[in-house]
Amino acid sequence: MTDAVASAVIRVLPERVRNQIAAGEVVERPASVVKELVENALDAGARELVIDLEEGGVKLVRVSDDGCGMGPEDLQLAFLSHATSKLAEVEDLAHIGTLGFRGEALASIGSVARARVLTRRAGEQLGWTVENEGGTIGAVGAAGAPRGTTIEVRDLFYNVPARRAFLKRTATELGRCLDVLQRLALAHVGTGFIVTHDRGRVFDVEREMDLAARVRRLFGAELADALVPVAAESGPVRLAGLIAPPRFSRGDTTRQLWFLNGRPLKDRVLARCLLEAYRGFNDEKRQPVAFLSLSVPPAEVDVNVHPTKSEVRFREERRLFPFLLGALRAAVARTDMATPGGKLLVPFPRVLPGTWAGAGRAPSAGEGRPRVAELEVREGPSATPLFAAEARVAPERRPAGRVLQVAATYLVRELADGLEIVDQHALHERVTYERLKAELAAGKVEVQRELVPELVELARSEVHVLAEHLPTLERLGIDLAIFGPTTVAVHGLPSLLKRRAGPRLVRELVAALSDGEKLPGPEQLLDHVVHSMACRRSVMAGDELAPEEIESLLEAAARLPHDQTCPHGRPTRVRLSLADLERAFHRR
Amino acid sequence: MKVLCARERLREGLTVVTSVIPLKSTRPAIENVCLVASDDMLELVGTDLDVAVRYRVADVKVEEPGTALIPARVAADFVRDLTGDTVRLRSKGNGEGFVIESGPDDRCELTTVDPDEYPVVARFIEEGSLPVLGAKFTRLVARTSFAAAREAGRYAMHGILTELEGDELRMIATDGRRLVLAKAPVEASAGGIQRAIVPTKGMMLFCKVIDDPTEMVRIHFGENQFGLKTSKAEVYARLIDGEFPRYSAVIPAMTQNTFEADAQALHQKLKLVANVTSADTRAVKLSIGKERITIYGRSAAMGEASASLDVIFDGKPTDIAFNPDYLIDGLKNCELQNVRFEFNEKNNPGKFTLGEDYTYVVMPITIDT
Repeated sequence: MTDAVASAVIRVLPERVRNQIAAGEVVERPASVVKELVENALDAGARELVIDLEEGGVKLVRVSDDGCGMGPEDLQLAFLSHATSKLAEVEDLAHIGTLGFRGEALASIGSVARARVLTRRAGEQLGWTVENEGGTIGAVGAAGAPRGTTIEVRDLFYNVPARRAFLKRTATELGRCLDVLQRLALAHVGTGFIVTHDRGRVFDVEREMDLAARVRRLFGAELADALVPVAAESGPVRLAGLIAPPRFSRGDTTRQLWFLNGRPLKDRVLARCLLEAYRGFNDEKRQPVAFLSLSVPPAEVDVNVHPTKSEVRFREERRLFPFLLGALRAAVARTDMATPGGKLLVPFPRVLPGTWAGAGRAPSAGEGRPRVAELEVREGPSATPLFAAEARVAPERRPAGRVLQVAATYLVRELADGLEIVDQHALHERVTYERLKAELAAGKVEVQRELVPELVELARSEVHVLAEHLPTLERLGIDLAIFGPTTVAVHGLPSLLKRRAGPRLVRELVAALSDGEKLPGPEQLLDHVVHSMACRRSVMAGDELAPEEIESLLEAAARLPHDQTCPHGRPTRVRLSLADLERAFHRR
Repeated sequence: MKVLCARERLREGLTVVTSVIPLKSTRPAIENVCLVASDDMLELVGTDLDVAVRYRVADVKVEEPGTALIPARVAADFVRDLTGDTVRLRSKGNGEGFVIESGPDDRCELTTVDPDEYPVVARFIEEGSLPVLGAKFTRLVARTSFAAAREAGRYAMHGILTELEGDELRMIATDGRRLVLAKAPVEASAGGIQRAIVPTKGMMLFCKVIDDPTEMVRIHFGENQFGLKTSKAEVYARLIDGEFPRYSAVIPAMTQNTFEADAQALHQKLKLVANVTSADTRAVKLSIGKERITIYGRSAAMGEASASLDVIFDGKPTDIAFNPDYLIDGLKNCELQNVRFEFNEKNNPGKFTLGEDYTYVVMPITIDT
């Protein structure tokens, strides 16, 4: 093989091709273009942004801002790779305050689309323009322009058919663009956004709208009204935002937005922290709805981890975590958990008088039988006498307290402004759980010591995990000793757990400890132990309760800090306000 | 086969044998009782594959030898409810059915299963077996079985360790938190220690077939089973294959504190105080002073109680806490007027002497404050 042949095989790629390849990292689809351009505009100090999309952004993405604008010398460089105004030295990477910094975006976009920049600096008469058609950069020319910068990106991937083929339907691409834009609009309070698609307005938020107002505009009043503010500070670290009651939790994370120093990001660690804060209140598989903004000194966080800048690394994760968790947990507990999810009150389909449609047809489950109908009082042995006894009580003595046990499972209680239905097991479980926790926290742990320590075989790594936590475990009454590189001896267990086999408990502990990585503290271990005990020791669904028992249960629950969900996150009660009832009966 | 038997004797036999036979099994043949009639006897055989019993029914007349496999529970219940004194058993041959008759009026005909499907049940091996007085054996089991593990896990503790060394037969049971050891002298045996972990269920069956306490029964330590033979029955139990804790290591040899108390009074006081403890905070504290012991119990939910009684104490006044159930289990079996209790520290096991050659060790509960 000769040198000539070899050099024919391996070539240095021309810059244009390099940019096209690099574009693959930054520009995947119209949504990435939107993100890059809007972030540039925000970095340029935009107060009002107009984003125009056509055909889901494939045909056109145009971002117009009223920011600082650029001069002709900037335009010369704008489309070159690693040309940026935001970073000069390597040291600057340690404290990045702008959204973009890598200097790749415009070059990448320009190489795979027809791009045009039109810009005018404030206070200058003349604007400038430059075009880049698939990597061919034109000359900078003078042009009339409004203040700020407008960047148009047309016909994305027109010269890269392979990529173009991977684009989805217009609706899908538009959805992704809007998702990005919503996140940005929520993140940048103080900037107005107007978004159009095929010349129709899709959404807008005004400059002066705060986060709550923006959520209301974007996601509706029901969610906005239920949000609870979060605000906490620890040294230079600030957490602020809004979180929703658990019932708004969704199968996806589209309404879970974290902003780090103003930049939206999807960070695994922060997401887990949020999930942890909802533990016990939320169905574990569902993602809470929250809009949270975290401010951390730039030096404390490394954002140069991922090209799309959506993941970051915190220098002080260990300190940050307990702070976040504490603030979030407190806020979660303040949310309203008693209101049922949206689907409970589905009214009967209205049958107009004079028509026979539907008459004589019993609604069956298969026909989406309204849930309201299931609230009818079933004949229970205790129902009649209890009801009769309660009915005799003069209403003025107990204005909001009549209670009826239904199906030996639910307690229906009259409230001043409606009624609530309590799941007796769920509520009692919460009461028991809190009591056990208090008992354990008071430090009275009885430990049944083992005459013959039981040996549990574990993996080496698991033994390590346990070894770190031995003192904590001992405080909980779980007395373990490392017996060998893969063996742990159980010397004593809380006598509360006497029915539980040692190896199972140890394995569960290891799982809990390794799973949460840095999260579990004594608190969670305690929870782990107490959960199952609370369930076993509570009244069950199907237990008949005497009126006095019901009363004392409700009283005990009222004294708790949280009584809205059982320890597993199921709601303890469903509340129907008079307004809900009126809606169900078409009174309004 | 054709057999005439006394109803009461047959009923007794079926009761013993059906207690072994499983209600359902992946091997349906063992849901049956196997009847073997030979020249001069009728034998009932049952097994759940862990325990097997051969029971010889007395007072029978075999007119025609043979073997039959019939549904165990139905047969036992039918025979139990018969009123006549004699029962006639007859197989119709060729797997056509099995008839149980009593007098001219009462009869049933049961379906049969091919006897070839029944597992082979071993015969008792006389060679190397040892004679033991029946009462001695049942007493050792009664003294120890209460302490064997019941909860899931710790497989080896679900049996009673039975050891024969020289002229001593020992049984040891533990659930990991308490341990009991009982010994009885037997006819000297040759060789070293013979050891078997016999499942508690098997032990119960052994005791059930020993219906005459004065009878000398024979026991046999087999390779993987333990056998016992009486004049009527041969029982084998498959051994638990596991590591039994070294019991000698957990029984404290030297103790600094000793007290003696009236066993019945202590039992009664413990029961009294344990009433206020709950299932989850199950601990009583023994506050031991020079001449008196005070028992405290409390539970956060229910309140507290105390009771005192006189003791003879030699040692340093100490507090030590236990699960009262464990103590009561021991005291119930105490054979002495005064129980003797020895211990060192409140974290170390307490040793109770419940009778001659009868030791019970309990691990305390430590209460963090």
